[in-house]
This record gives sequence, C-alpha cells and structure tokens, in this order.
Amino acid sequence: MRPARPAVRFDPRRTVDFVVVGSGAAGGIIAKELATAGLTVVVLEQGPRVEPPQFEHDEIKTLFQSALQNNPAGFTFRRTASETAKPGQIQLLYHRLVGGGSVMFTANYWRFREIDFIEKSRLGAISGTGLEDWPITYRDLEPYYTKAEWELGVSGEPGPFDPPRTRPYPLPPLPVKSSGVLFERGARALGLHPQPAPLAILSQPFNGRPACQHCGYCLGFGCEFRAKSSTLYTVIPMAEATGRCEVRPNSYVRRIEVDRKGRVTGATYFDENKKEQVQRARAVVLCCNGSETPRLLLLSASSRFPNGLANSSGVVGKYLMFNGYSSSSGVFERPLNEFKSVTATRVLYDFYESDPKRGFYGGGAPDARSFAYPTIFALGGLPHDAPSWGAGYKRILRDYYTRTMNVDGHSTSLPLETNTISLDPDMKDAWGLPAMRVTYKDHADDLAMMRFLQDRAIEILEAAGARRTWRQPVQETNLAAHLLGTCRMGDDPRTSVVDRYHRAHDVRNLFICDGSSLITGGRGQPTATIQALAYRAGEHIAAFARRGEI
Amino acid sequence: MLADPLSRRTFLAVSSTALGAAWLAADPALVRAALDHAARAARSPLSPGSPDPVPWDVLTPDQAADLDAIAAQIFPTDDTPGAREARVVTFLDRSLGTWAAQQREPLLHGLDELNGEVERRWPGTQRFANLAPERQLELLRAQEQTPFFQQMRFATLVGMFSLPPYGGNADKAGWRVIGFEDRYAWQPPFGDYDAEAARGGR
Repeated sequence: MRPARPAVRFDPRRTVDFVVVGSGAAGGIIAKELATAGLTVVVLEQGPRVEPPQFEHDEIKTLFQSALQNNPAGFTFRRTASETAKPGQIQLLYHRLVGGGSVMFTANYWRFREIDFIEKSRLGAISGTGLEDWPITYRDLEPYYTKAEWELGVSGEPGPFDPPRTRPYPLPPLPVKSSGVLFERGARALGLHPQPAPLAILSQPFNGRPACQHCGYCLGFGCEFRAKSSTLYTVIPMAEATGRCEVRPNSYVRRIEVDRKGRVTGATYFDENKKEQVQRARAVVLCCNGSETPRLLLLSASSRFPNGLANSSGVVGKYLMFNGYSSSSGVFERPLNEFKSVTATRVLYDFYESDPKRGFYGGGAPDARSFAYPTIFALGGLPHDAPSWGAGYKRILRDYYTRTMNVDGHSTSLPLETNTISLDPDMKDAWGLPAMRVTYKDHADDLAMMRFLQDRAIEILEAAGARRTWRQPVQETNLAAHLLGTCRMGDDPRTSVVDRYHRAHDVRNLFICDGSSLITGGRGQPTATIQALAYRAGEHIAAFARRGEI
Repeated sequence: MLADPLSRRTFLAVSSTALGAAWLAADPALVRAALDHAARAARSPLSPGSPDPVPWDVLTPDQAADLDAIAAQIFPTDDTPGAREARVVTFLDRSLGTWAAQQREPLLHGLDELNGEVERRWPGTQRFANLAPERQLELLRAQEQTPFFQQMRFATLVGMFSLPPYGGNADKAGWRVIGFEDRYAWQPPFGDYDAEAARGGR
C-alpha cells in the first residue's frame, strides 16, 4: 500500500485545488476522494507521521505520556459559563498524528440507525435542548456506510436490530473472546439479543493487509500489523498514489485566510520550526474534529467575520456532545485472559432506542470489554473496597487479573447550546494562540441513561455467573474521546453552520466534515458515521469542484 | 486531592488524576532517554547490595534502600516475586533521573518526612529501611493517605508492570505474577470460556 511513486510535494506558494486541514478519520477520506477525482490536495496535519512499525505496546509512553496525542496545546475547562475555566479538569482524548484518532481508536464501528436522524420528529422537541432532525436520512447515508466498510475493512455480522444494509460486511466477525461468551450467556438468560460487535479490524487478510494478530493492544494504541483500519495505511496511501495529494505533517494551522469577497484563499500554519507558512488553495475543507474545527473557525475571525469564520449563526462551537459512558466489572471462576485480542467482541442493541417508559430521554448499548493492560489494571482494576497495596492487594490482583471482564455502556448526549468549545480569554497554547476552552455539563437524562445501562450491565454479569460485580460510579463526564456537534449541519443558515453537503452556509468555498457536523451524537460510537459522512462529502465536494461551484 | 487518585478505573482517566498528571506529564523525548539509559544500565548488575553496583542516578544508597523497603511493602514478596525482585527501585531511580525528574524533589522530600516520623516514633532509628518489617507496615498503614505514600504506590505499581526496559519488572516478574504474557500474537481460544464454547459447550 505504499505510494506507487514518490509522494508529490507542492510549493506552498502554488495555489492547489484544496487544503484539507486534518488527516484523521474524516480528513484522510476526503483527501482520497478529492485526489482520486483529479484534484490537487495538500493535507495539513498538526502532528507527526508515525508509521506502523513505530507503534509499541508501551503503557508508559503511549497511555501515560500520551505520545500519540502530541498535545502541547493545553486547554481549559468549566462546567458552566458562570465559572472561570481552569486547566486540567477534564481529559479530551484525541491524537495528533497522520491518521488522527483512527490510529488509536478501539475500532468499534456501529452504524447509526434510521431513528438517529429523525429523533425529534419521532419523540417531539425536548425542552431546553437542541435536539433536531438531520437534513439527511439513514437512507441517504447508507451507501457511504457500505463504501466505508468495504474500502477500509470492517468485520461483523448483522443482528436483529440492525438497520437495512445494501451489502453484507466484507469480513466475518473477529473470534469471540471469553468476555463475549459470558456476555452472551448472561444476556440470553435475560431474554436479550447480543450480537458480534462490528469492528474496523480485519478478521481475515484484506486489501493487502494482514488479519488481526490478537495482540490485545487496540484501545489507545496504534496497530503495528495494520489490521486496525486506520486512514493512515488505507485511504491516505491511495490519495498519495494519485500523485496529486501531499500530506504535510507537523503543520499546525492557525488561521483560514479570507479575501475581500469573503472567500477563503488558503491556510496559514506553523511548520515544525514554528515558522509561519501559507498554503494557498481554491477551497478549504476542515476535518480537525469537533473541538479543533470550531476553535480554528473562531481563531479565523476577521473584520468581515467578526464572530469567527462561518459563524453568522453564532452556532460555531455550540451543542458539543461527548457521548455517555458507564463501566462495570465482574470476576469469574476461571481465566478469561482478556489481555488477548480486540477490546470488544459482543454488543447488545436492545436498549438502543429511547423509551418513554424509562422516564427520560436516551438510548445506548452495552458491550463486553476487556480491561487488561497490566499496569492500568494494577493501578485501578480492582473493586474500590479491595486493598490497594500490600499482601492482600497482591493476592486479589493475582486472582482477578486474568478472570475479570467489563461491561461498558455507551449512550446518548443531548445537544445543549450551553455545552461549547470557545477561546479562552487568558490562556495561550504553545504557539501563543488563545487556548481552547471547553464548557460541558451532562444533561440529567444523559446521566440517567448511563445509570440505566450500568444497571443492565450488572444484571448481565450476574446472569453470566460472575462471582462478584462492581461498578464505576456514574459521574459527570471527565474524559471525552468523542467530540461532536459543534458545527452542526442543517438547512437553515440561522441555526446551523454547514448545509447538507458540508458547505459552510456563509462561505461558498469552505467545507467542514468531521465529528462537528453531527446534529445528534448517536449511541456512543460515532466513527462509522463520521467516515460515511466523509465519503459522501468528498463525493459532493469533488463534483462541486468539477462544476466550478467552489 | 490525592486521597483517591484512581477513583476512576478506566485507564484513560489515570493520567487525569493529580498524581497521574504529576508523574506522567513528561516529554516523550525524556521517556526515550530513560529507555536508552535503561538499556545501557541493563548490561551491568545494578540491584542494591549486589557486589559491584552501578551507581544510582539520583538516589543515595540510603534513599535507595528506603524506597526499596517501601516498594517491598506495597508489593511484597510471597511465594512469587515482589517489588524487590522486580527491581522497582531501579525503575524509580532511572525514572526520577529522566522522564519523571520533576517528581524527584517532592518524592525525596516525602521520604525525608517519613524518616522524620521514624525517628520520632522510634528514637535512635533513623531510616525506614532499618525498621523491622512489622514496624514498616505499621508506619505505612498510618501514612497511606499521604501524597508521598500515594505517589509511591503509583510508582511502585508502574515499575512493577511496565516494560522491563524502564528498569523495573525485571525478568518480567510482575507480568508472571499476575498471568500476563507479552507474546503479542495469539490465536483463539484465548480463555477458558471461549475454549469451552468452541468445544460446543455454548
């Protein structure tokens, strides 16, 4: 999958057709779609290019030191606008390198369902929230889910609640782990319907890449085997092989430039020596994720766009969604050895849809998960009332390490206007730019849904025969790996940032496609939808360019 | 702030805790330096008490003996190896000299305070390492909510279970104790329950 010829290098002074900012789950796909359509593309990626042989199973470096996050920027956090935001109150987990989050994600690959696109009309408006229907439907997006699954490589098997699909999964499910077997046992005993978890990990060789070797290091780690379907070694080499796409790492964009007519002309960025460079382009696509994209738009404020680029609606940065999460554990009689193979092999969609009988809005799905990186498990894997050091601790650790599994809940976040990405008035990042400020408070219904799924998780673990179960207390979100909703798509320029083709309402030659485009956040696994949107957007943007409509 | 540094079990949250942030917010380049250093040091004997020990990077022999004794209480030796056999103190020394350098001063200050407590409780005994094991345990139980102890717990367990090139987990002792294997390529069955299901017991 190496480029067939040396990758092209563009002189920054040359005007290329497109600058794509960000090379992650969405940016890699957009770049490939544009380049294969005959357009010239420069991808500006703020992080380095790390190739698979450099990925390691090093907990200290990869997890603790966040080596793949490459995050010198820093940001501040507050729960509500009445507080002064402070650094270090929350974790935003995303990775700055070529391939972005697609390098280190767990690779859960759930499609959204019909309901996710039309929930407001089905349920009615929810007071105090920004719950809206999407301007597109599941049917509009289905071909692009299929394209993503077949081009990137996804393993799975449809279950009883799956939305309709036009093609089967390209690959069968990964082998079930002991956690999956026990999850199935417990769920079936309760009359529920567990199914194989869809994963963007190869169960068999595919497109020149090897099958998963079951090393056990998916969540948070890059895959040295290239079995996890990251954009880094799927679509990005395809884009480069056209000879029309340059991926330029260590390029941190500080501003999107605009001319007097209000059209974007390119991007100003810091190169690896923190020297400012300008890449000129006929059009720009932002794929920086749901936190960095709105920040860049706000950083790009100008006399013509005083509230930030593409922000006449005032909606840029608002309606941030993280997805809900809960975690429970159970210990069993015999070894499960969850340190082997992929993170999750079984999932349960019985609770996907919101049910008025529960008394609150929300939906989600629990899955059978490993939690077995040795250092992390030793630090925090045992029940809270277990000894935390000494002979008693060691005894329990030895007993539990190979015998423990998790059932984690993944669920909805209501879009709230008060949950935002904005610019911090005081703190600066390592380049002297205003740092990102995150304001986020979970809706009461989001917390209720997390607790609901945790109760179901405990029931499943008990029905599976766990010797003992324990819960991670549900609390307000203090770790966010999904960054969604902050440049929402819509038909009305007064209430949304991009139209249904990801074109900014305010700027004809600016497009935005990443987690920020989502209007609702689904049930906790957004990557498949972000990538389906990227395939769809890439196709439309290329057509606009060919017709001179940029 | 430090009473329950790991109240969230998900690994992702570990580094967001006060202790985690302090120990872990180092520059990855320094981690690389630590690994290089450890690789060099691994070529010569360096455990405390070995006949011709490699000099410690940052610890005095007394400090090394104290930290070794504390680590050995946190993860004791029983019928399987503990922190002492896993050379956690070597991990501490190497880390405090490289990627965790900013933790050196607070950690050694905490050790001084602990030894002050030793002297106060047992006049004439000046160092933790010189206490009888029962008294070591008694003292640490009284100290377990202190930032120093929590920092030592954290560092001991990281040294026990992280990659051996960091200086601890010698001969993969930590991994062998809990049943982790670093083969990194497996085929099913992975555990007893999927093996049973594959045999038709589902």
